[in-house]
Amino acid sequence: MSDVRTESGAPTRAPADPPQHEPPLQAGRRPTAGDMARRFLTLREGSIVVVTVLAAIYFAVQNDRFFTQANFENLLPYFAPFAILAAGEVLLMVAGEIDLSIGSVYLFAPFMFYEFNQAGIPLIPCLILALLCCAVVGIINGVFTEIIGVSSFITTLGMLLGLGGLTLIISHAQPVAMPGAEVTSKTVNVTHVVNGQTVTLPEKVNEIGTFAKIFGGGIYSELIWALIIVVAVQVLLTLTRWGMYTIAVGGNKHGAAEAGINVRWTVIRNFIVCSIFAGFVGVLEAVRASSVTPDTAGASETMFRAVSAAVIGGTLLAGGEGTAVGALFGALFLGILRDGLTLEGVNADYLDFILGVAILGAMAINVYVGRVRKGSGRG
Amino acid sequence: MADRIVKPEDARASDDVLRVEHVAKRFGPVTALRDVNLHLRKGEVLGLLGDNGAGKSTLMKIISGFQKPDEGRMVVKDEEVELRSVDHARSLGIDCVYQDLALVNELSVYHNMFLKREKLLRPLPLLANRAMKREARAALDQIGVNVPRLDVPVARLSGGQRQAIAVARTVNSDADIILLDEPLAAMGAKEGAMILDLVARLREEGRVSIIMIAHNYVHVLQSCDRVNLIQDGEITFDRPTAETSVEELNEIVVEEYRRARMAALGDQAA
Repeated sequence: MSDVRTESGAPTRAPADPPQHEPPLQAGRRPTAGDMARRFLTLREGSIVVVTVLAAIYFAVQNDRFFTQANFENLLPYFAPFAILAAGEVLLMVAGEIDLSIGSVYLFAPFMFYEFNQAGIPLIPCLILALLCCAVVGIINGVFTEIIGVSSFITTLGMLLGLGGLTLIISHAQPVAMPGAEVTSKTVNVTHVVNGQTVTLPEKVNEIGTFAKIFGGGIYSELIWALIIVVAVQVLLTLTRWGMYTIAVGGNKHGAAEAGINVRWTVIRNFIVCSIFAGFVGVLEAVRASSVTPDTAGASETMFRAVSAAVIGGTLLAGGEGTAVGALFGALFLGILRDGLTLEGVNADYLDFILGVAILGAMAINVYVGRVRKGSGRG
Repeated sequence: MADRIVKPEDARASDDVLRVEHVAKRFGPVTALRDVNLHLRKGEVLGLLGDNGAGKSTLMKIISGFQKPDEGRMVVKDEEVELRSVDHARSLGIDCVYQDLALVNELSVYHNMFLKREKLLRPLPLLANRAMKREARAALDQIGVNVPRLDVPVARLSGGQRQAIAVARTVNSDADIILLDEPLAAMGAKEGAMILDLVARLREEGRVSIIMIAHNYVHVLQSCDRVNLIQDGEITFDRPTAETSVEELNEIVVEEYRRARMAALGDQAA
């Protein structure tokens, strides 16, 4: 952190030589370790990576059980779903909009999945149909925001409430068992080596189907999906026209239109992708839990956690800047905090309080580093 | 007032790459353009003068396809067109450097230069960043703009550098009808001279035709072939720069001001 501190001593650095993502083309000298550290810290996602690593180290020192396979498996559901939700949210936030309805879409999709399956449709087409329903939600959000001109905050707030209500109506407020996520038990003979002797005993083993293993049920299923989606969104944002136009619309909407960019379509397609991701996570989580409860309050909290992950990860609410990799680390940071504090045996009453303080602290560091990065006080 | 407008000399009309005829545009109760007739010859630099609110920028936005006129028609390269979008205008070779520059602060210099004209790593749908950076560097060097690094966000650049990038972006495109909306605004003397040099060079080459909005009469007389004055939503003056002078232009504008003031006083008296 000392690199950051030295920066504060000289906030009026010449703007011609600011820290950057890439090494300068005409590097006059070889970068030293200090330069590298500073460059890393001032990456958009640099500060949250450092904060996340510090949090992990803290809990590892505090508790032997933190760095174990078992705890890692515990941690996964605390962050992988949020990483996916946040990645979708990043796309919209970069475009200068926000989607609060992902909470309800997350709840709505598994129920649609269930209903389609009840109608006798196989699992994979059910998933596709459920995600198409989510895409329609995204289109409605986009049309209200971009064509009718309601601010996205209000549009998606309405959608959050309305779609949550619709889910309650469809489900009759009753939980359902997820199709395809059934657990089957069978007895197999397992051979152990005990004190140098091989012992074969019958044991009960729980198994889930291939669909469930791929879509949420497998231990690493959500993590793998999260990594795939985060990388895809990051590539989309930084290396494609789609991402470039998204940044342009979020940064200078009028200018983007003057340059000939189709602003409406740019925003609407990001709404669609964001909704599809949210629905996908909803199905993954429902399959993982093998059942789903129409809990609209829990859905809103899920949404807030995803938005927090995106913001902590370095995505601006104002638009124009954002990173999916940062959002992944934002989600990981929140997951580590929750998991670590639980492991510590922190009283549940204190948990949210500590989380809130930690979020504020992480954001303060972000804003500060952001200022250093831009070489100005505009943070 | 008829003597102030030199009619497009008979047969010369076929030289026109752009003709705007009887164009009108209202924004609610405000009439921005009343009845605009304007033509642009091939290879010509046309200076467009006019007070704030006279309708210059609106006219630029109509010609560049950003806004649609309420009335009137446009002829681009001998074909009557109804511009649907900025993209449509651009496909006809019309490109504009807007007064508000249309740069995106958060994007890098070279991404801004290639906004909406991106190069891709075909067949992959990925941006060819290296090629764009190289071409952007070449284009800026040719104009003589000094931007040390092209991968920084344009937010970091000075007003003049930003203006130069916006101009370079358009000049570097395939456009042959270029609209410059106050290209000298926000520029220091040195950067302004650079843009004027660029315009002079383009005029010499004669490949592109330019409409340039400016406030400075000296600049207009120096770098344009012809000057149009727009007053109250109409073109009221159209002469080759060789046949007019700063004094005459000044006189016309001041005269309009006096007339407006007299009218206002008259209204008060009544």
